[in-house]
Order: sequence, then structure tokens, then C-alpha cells
Amino acid sequence: MTGFLASIGYDRWILHALVLLPLAGVVPILLGDERSAKRMALAVTVLELLLSLGLWWVIQPNTSGMQLESSAPWIPRWGISYRVGIDGISLFMVLLTTVMMPLSVLASWSSITKKERAFYALMLTLLTGLVGVFIALDLFLFYVFFEVMLIPMYFIIGIWGGTNRLYAAIKFFIYTMAGSLLMLVAIVILAWKVAGASGMLSFSYDHLLTNANSVGSAAPWLFAAFALAFAIKVPIFPLHTWLPDAHVEAPTAGSVLLASVMLKIGTYGFLRFAVPFFPHVALSPSVTHLMVALAVIGIIYGALVAMVQPDIKKLVAYSSVSHLGFVMLGIWGVTIISVQGALMVMISHGISTGALFLLIGMIYERRHTRMIDAYGGIARVVPIFSLVLTVVALSSIGLPGLNGFIGEFLVLLGSFSAYPWATGIATTGVIFAAAYLLWALQRMIFNPLDKPDNERLTDLTARELVVLIPLVIGIVWLGLFPGPVLQRMEPATRQYVEIVHPGSTSTTASREAQAVEPGGR
Amino acid sequence: MELDLSRPLDIAVGLLPEILLTCWALLVLLVASWRHNTAEDSRLSGWLSFAGVIVTAAALTLLWVNRATPLGLAQMMALDPFRYTAAAIILISAGAVILLSLGYLEREQLLAPEYYPLILLATTGMLFLAGAEDLIVLFLGLEVMSVAVYVLAGYDRTNMSSSEAALKYFLIGAFASGFLLYGIALVYGATGTTNLSLIGAQLAGGRLSLMAELGLGLLLIGFGFKVAAVPFHMWAPDVYDGSPTPVTAFMATGVKAAAFAALVRVLLEAFPSADGLWQPVIAGLAIASMVVGNLVALAQRSLKRMLAYSSIAHAGYLLVAVWPGTKLGAGAVLLYLAAYGITTLASFGFLAALGRGGERDVTYDSIAGLASTRPWIALGLSVCMLSLLGFPGTLGFMGKWYILTAVIAEGHVLLPVILVVTSVISAGYYLPVIMAMYMKTAPEGEAYGRVRLAPAAAATVALSVAAVVVFGLWPRGVFDAALQSAGTLTQTELPVAHH
Repeated sequence: MTGFLASIGYDRWILHALVLLPLAGVVPILLGDERSAKRMALAVTVLELLLSLGLWWVIQPNTSGMQLESSAPWIPRWGISYRVGIDGISLFMVLLTTVMMPLSVLASWSSITKKERAFYALMLTLLTGLVGVFIALDLFLFYVFFEVMLIPMYFIIGIWGGTNRLYAAIKFFIYTMAGSLLMLVAIVILAWKVAGASGMLSFSYDHLLTNANSVGSAAPWLFAAFALAFAIKVPIFPLHTWLPDAHVEAPTAGSVLLASVMLKIGTYGFLRFAVPFFPHVALSPSVTHLMVALAVIGIIYGALVAMVQPDIKKLVAYSSVSHLGFVMLGIWGVTIISVQGALMVMISHGISTGALFLLIGMIYERRHTRMIDAYGGIARVVPIFSLVLTVVALSSIGLPGLNGFIGEFLVLLGSFSAYPWATGIATTGVIFAAAYLLWALQRMIFNPLDKPDNERLTDLTARELVVLIPLVIGIVWLGLFPGPVLQRMEPATRQYVEIVHPGSTSTTASREAQAVEPGGR
Repeated sequence: MELDLSRPLDIAVGLLPEILLTCWALLVLLVASWRHNTAEDSRLSGWLSFAGVIVTAAALTLLWVNRATPLGLAQMMALDPFRYTAAAIILISAGAVILLSLGYLEREQLLAPEYYPLILLATTGMLFLAGAEDLIVLFLGLEVMSVAVYVLAGYDRTNMSSSEAALKYFLIGAFASGFLLYGIALVYGATGTTNLSLIGAQLAGGRLSLMAELGLGLLLIGFGFKVAAVPFHMWAPDVYDGSPTPVTAFMATGVKAAAFAALVRVLLEAFPSADGLWQPVIAGLAIASMVVGNLVALAQRSLKRMLAYSSIAHAGYLLVAVWPGTKLGAGAVLLYLAAYGITTLASFGFLAALGRGGERDVTYDSIAGLASTRPWIALGLSVCMLSLLGFPGTLGFMGKWYILTAVIAEGHVLLPVILVVTSVISAGYYLPVIMAMYMKTAPEGEAYGRVRLAPAAAATVALSVAAVVVFGLWPRGVFDAALQSAGTLTQTELPVAHH
């Protein structure tokens, strides 16, 4: 495989192709007719997925640092270039994006009935923005992608969303923009301070990372601006209030992409930019206490609020707040294990929560309600649906043997020595997760079948199974054989830990990592 | 090309754009006095005037590509890239306004062809403002421009609000001119000259005398009125709202560009040594304009009034760009003037198309569902709103980026932070425009059949929107051009002043 990819020069064009292909796909969709739009979008996203799979073989699993890096001048006098590259962290974010996208298109097949061309054109634009955010290695470019993908999501929520869609759309937009504009100011200040110290004005990631310690006393403010932008995106409690609105009002494809991919931009931003740029600020006692406290509050609060939701979609939305809390805890754990765990939670949450939103969308299409108490005993009517829902819910809970377990376990393991109390409290979040999901499952698919409307439900169609089976395979595969994935993450996480916490990796942490990693469970 | 300004011929070459435009305006006025009855006559006058703008642009290009510079000191009019760039922005504004007016005047039955020569005369005044190297020329340019625009504001004579706009603009304008003139007199008294470079040389090094300080203060007040900065903005909403829409577009773009070009030149050439004095004032005006403009715009229901308040906010952003008083800052002013100007011209073009007999009635509700019947207008207006908001991928973003960079390069943070925070506020009134067009459904029976862009106006807005996107994605050329154009302003090497 590697030889074949090298023979077609795959490593030279793949990153550019992943950004440009969806944009190119927008043209035939807009020129074509309404009926063929979804087929075209499916073709483009599947092609994108196939292209991106090659990255798995091309990435050198034992090399740290950026790979496949390439750049083109954009505004040379201002030190701005179109620079992209990928490492063991962004690889999985890109793959998560390219996997979820065709599934979201398929999930919209029958539920999107108006303005189909516009919808699929926006989906493809969103794909460009999402891939771009994860591979951008120039801060100006990153900012552009970070903002540009707001527009498609704004329209997707605002045009195809539920009853309260206008409010949700503008809230989503303004929250994100408020954070990101302050980050823009911070980016400019960072670049100018670094230029003053190094004599070169450049927004390139490597240049800024190497010289970021020259910002001096501005570091806390710059970190605060970066952190605010990403904290809103994650979202960290108490900045999460846009999330339930956006997730619930968005159409299924929008909810899936928001939860699976867009939330990860926040945690990715912490891992890639905010913490490595300003490690002394990020790991100072006061910031650490604050972030760990907010992470744990998010875990518990998200779980408790999820528990009382009568609306299943809202329940899953709040569960995201809880899961992302684990990611934040792992990032601030700053051991190789905890950071790998954070990355695993990001992937697992993307798969499981994406699948949950897909399933909710499917049952909503049949029954036109998301209220948990409108269902009951449907396992007898729709056994396949119920089976898949159960598997996915168990993975979200963190049942050993499924994907959700690995990440949360590693986070708790890696963070325990640093924050025993916080980790201890966070562990109860896992129990709460079991409570709210199992309780919801019981009320929806078990219990007596007492509502006549539920008796005529039809089970999953072939198309819907095509959407769900890859995710179920992913859930089981990641749960049983996380080794290859962890192995590819290891160099990048090791590098991250070394940057933010020099000297720590040579001691206990790496031995623990060696012990956890081989073979998987 | 070096021009010896003691020779009449060389002076004529240096003033070629202004001379051509003045003559052309008088010529069109002559034609209009013979033919001023039908719609066809109005159109003839309009196209003739547009040709005048093209000819002037050609003369300007001649000076620009030959890099015309003065031999020795520029006495009355500057010959530098800053003037040429500012003049180009003004001419683009004038040309676009003429094209937008062609269909508008016919629809609104304002068929007096003198409208177009007035635009040309106002443009002449603006060109003088953009290049004024002497306070007297600056004042003359300002008056030529203002008098013509007073008349244009009240052009819809039968409309009460248009007359109100003209009167208000005239009274406040006269007031502002008074401040400016008094300021000029005091500066002259303190320095013994009205030439900007000589004033700069006189004031260099020492503390300003009280008289010069007062003069500077009065000049700033006068400019504050002209650019509609808070707290000198009270006239702007009513005047912008009441004037015919193309005239509003002209005021928001051309007048603003000319006034800002003159302000930058005065501050950078005559008062570079007094930056400790004017920088706090500019910062205060900028903050007040950004905060008040954006907050009040949030409360508007009428789109035209919203754009009027948003133009106050944009004056605030421009003042932020004036603040550093550096080459980068002057470049930011030029770039932002171009970005804001092009976007605003297109926005008012769309607004004019949406109106039915005066645009005061175009509210957020009355464009609901526009996207389904008029997809191109909706798309274009959306791009304009995003550009005004400063969203990446548009020229508006590049303009704001440039401003942020110029200020941060001076090590200042407060103004950039206020700029971005108030930009977030502006999302609260720009986004609802997009929201109304795309996400709401059209009221029963409303098919937007009357919404129509005349061909000339359609071409103008299409070109503008294309420019906003293209330069938003490939800003390299405009970035470099803005920086080069600003370069000549801040060279402080000056000949020794003579008394």
C-alpha cells in the first residue's frame, strides 16, 4: 500500500486535494438539478473519504513533528502563507471528519426535502472548512478556516433546523465569533511580538511555537484570548449554553457534524495552539486549578442535566458537555497517557455521539417526536434499531470492550497522580452517564409497548444500516484493538507533553505508556 | 515625471484630473440646460457624466503611472501616491453612484438632469480635498464638495424628509466649516503659513503654542463633523436616511473618503510632532463612534437607518486606523476606505432596488424570504453584510486585519480589543439581514415582483461584490498598493522653513 501511494505521489498532493475537492464539488451541485444534488454530494464525500484513508499508511508512526508539510505564499510581505501539514493528532481529526461526512449526507437523504442543492453545497463547503482547520499550519490560515466554517453551519441550522432555529443559529454564530475575534487580536500581537524578537514576521505555526516564549508579560492575556475562543467551541462550562440550542435545532446532519467534529476543534485548539504556545501560563497553578475544576464541573453538570431531559436529543447534547470535560481533564493531565486518552475520547465521542444523533434522526423521521415518554417498548417493533441504539449507548457509557471505555480510562489513569480528587469526582461522571443513558434506553425501547403510534414503526432500512454499520464496526474495533491508533498518536502526544512539560516524558510517564500501549485489550 | 510647479504648464499637468472634471461638469450642465425634460435627457446627462469620470480617471492614471512628483516643495496640491489612491477611491465612488442613479432617478421620477453635474462638482471638491497640501485648498475643496452635496441631499424636493436632510446637513455643515476655518486661522496665526509641510517643519521639535493647540483642536472638531464621528454625528442618521439612496451612498463613501484622506494628511504632515496631543482625541472619538454607532444600529428596524448608524461605527474603525499616525496606519486608512466604500456602494445599490418610493420603508421584515425569489440579490447583499461585519474571505476582513496590525505594531491593545468587541455587536444587526432573506418565509402574496435592478446598477453591484470577494481572497496586491501609497506621507525630511 505504501509503495503504491508513493508511486502516485500521494504525499505531495493529498492535503491540498482534501481541501479543494469539496469546493470543486460545489460547482456541479449548483449547476445541476435538485434531484441529483445528494448523489453528487455523496460521490464527492465518499471520494474524499477514500482519498483520506491513504493518510493512515503515509503517516510515519514513529516520527514526531509535522509531516507532509507544504506551503505556498499567500501574502508574503506580511508573512502569511498557505501552509498545511499533519501529525498524529490532526490525522485522526481529519479521518473523523471524512468518515462522518458521507454518513451525514446519507442521513440527510430523505430528511432534507427543500433547497437540496443549497444544503449539499453548504455541506461540502463545511467539509473544506473542517479539514482545513485541522491541517492549517499558519495561524492566519487557521483563523480563516475557523471562521469560514461558521457560515455553512449557520445556514444549515437556520434554514433546515427545527422550530427555534433562528435563535439557535444566531446564538451559535455570535458565541463563536465573540471568542474568535479576540483570538484574532491575540494572533496579531503574538506574531508582532515574535517578529520583534526574532526579526521575522511570520504567522507560520513552527516559527511562532519556537519563539512564543518571547512574548514576555503579555503571555497570560494572549493565552486567555486563545483559551476563550477554544473554550466556547469545546464548550467548557459555563460557556456551553449555545450548545443545547444549536444541537437540538440543527437537522440531523448538522447535529452529527457539530457533535462529532466541530466540538473537537476547541479541544484540538487547546492541544495545538493555546497550551503549547504558553505552557507556563497554561500549567500555572491558578489556571490549572481553574481548568481542571471547570472540566470536572462540566462532567458532572452535563451528566446531571442530561438526566432530567425529557427530549432525547437534548439529553445527548448535554452528554457532550460531560464527555468533553474528560477531554479537558486529559489535556491538563499532561502525561502521555492522559493526552492519548483525551484524543481517544475525542474520537470515541465523535463516533458514538454521531451515531446517537443519527439514530435519533432516524426515529424522529418515523414518529416526529423526540420526547422520551412518547416511546416505550419499541424493541419489539423495531428490533434492529433497538439493538444498534443499545450498542451505541453502551459505547457512550464507556462499557469495557467498546471504544468509549479506552479514552475515559486512559484520561482517569493519566490524570490521577496529578489530580487525585478531581479524577475521583470525574469518575462518578461515568456512573451518571450509565444512569442517564440506561434510564433513557429503558423508557424508550423496553418498558411496555403502550402507545398505539409506536406499533406501526418500521425498522431500519438498508440505507440507514449502511450509515450505522461503519460506526458500529468502529465502536467495536476501537474498543478491542486501540493499539494501532494509540501507536500513531504516541509521537505527537509525546512531543506535546515535552513542549509543555519538559523533562517529564523520560521518567514514569513513558514507562506507563509503554505498558498500556502494545497489543491493546 | 518631475513637475516644475513654477511653470503654468506643469501646474496644469499636475491638476489635470481636477481641471478636466470641472470643465466636464460645466459642459454637462450646459447640455442639461438645453435638454432637461424627459427621462431620455436625464439618461444622456448621466452617461455623459460617467464618461467624465472615466476621462478624469484616465488623467489620474497618467499622473500615477508616470509617478508625477513635484520638483521641490509641493505648494498647493500634493503630487504623491496617497493623493492618487484616495482620488481613485473617490472616482470609483462617483462612477458607481452615477450608475446606480440612472435607474433610480427614473423610478423615483426625479428627472432633473442637473443632478449629475452636481455629482461631478462634488467629486472635484473631493479630489482637491484628497490632495490638498495647503489649508486654504483644503477648505476650498471641502466647500465645493459640501455645497454640491447639500443640494443633492435635498434633491427629492417633494419629499419632506429629503428637504429636512438637506437643511440639517447644510446647517451642521456650515457649523463644521466655521470650526475648520477658525482652526485654520489659528494655525496660521501660530505658524505664519498654511502649507502643511511648512507647518510641520515649524512645529517640529518644540511644544505647541496655545494658539496652535487650539487650532488643532478646532480642526479636529471640524473633521469630526465631516466624518460623522461621535459626538459630532447627530446629523448623520437623519441626513443619510432622508437623502435619495444613491446620494446616501455617495455621502457614505466619497465624502467620507475625501474627509479621511484630508484628515490623515493634515495630522501626518502638519502635526506629526503633536501626536501626543491628537492621539488621545482620535482614540476617544474612535471608541465613542464604535460603541455608539454599533449599539444604536442594533435598535434600528429600517435597513437604511441601520446602514447610517453602521457608517458611524465604520468611521470609528477608520479613526482607529488614523490613530497610529504611521505609514502602516495611513495604508490601513486607504485600504479600509476602499473596502468599506466598495461594500457600502453595493449595499446601497441593493437597498435602492428593494425600495418602493423612498427606502425608509425597507425593514428587516420586508425582505423576508427574498432569497427564494431573488437569489442573486440575496447572495450579493449577504456578501456585503459579511464584508461589513469583517468576515474572512471578504475585503472587509482584510481591511480590519490591516487596521488591527497597524495599531498592534505600535504596541497598543485597547483600541484593537474594542474594535473586535464592537464588531461582534455588529453581527447582531448584519446577520438578521441574511437571516431574514434566507431563513424566514416571504409574507403571503409577496413575490418581490417589483424588486428590480436596472442594468447599469446591476453591473455596478455585481462588479463590487466580485471585487469584495476576489480581493478578500487575494489581498496581496491591494495590501502592497496601500502600503506604497502611504509611504510618501510620513517622510519627515523637509526643507527649512522660511518666514
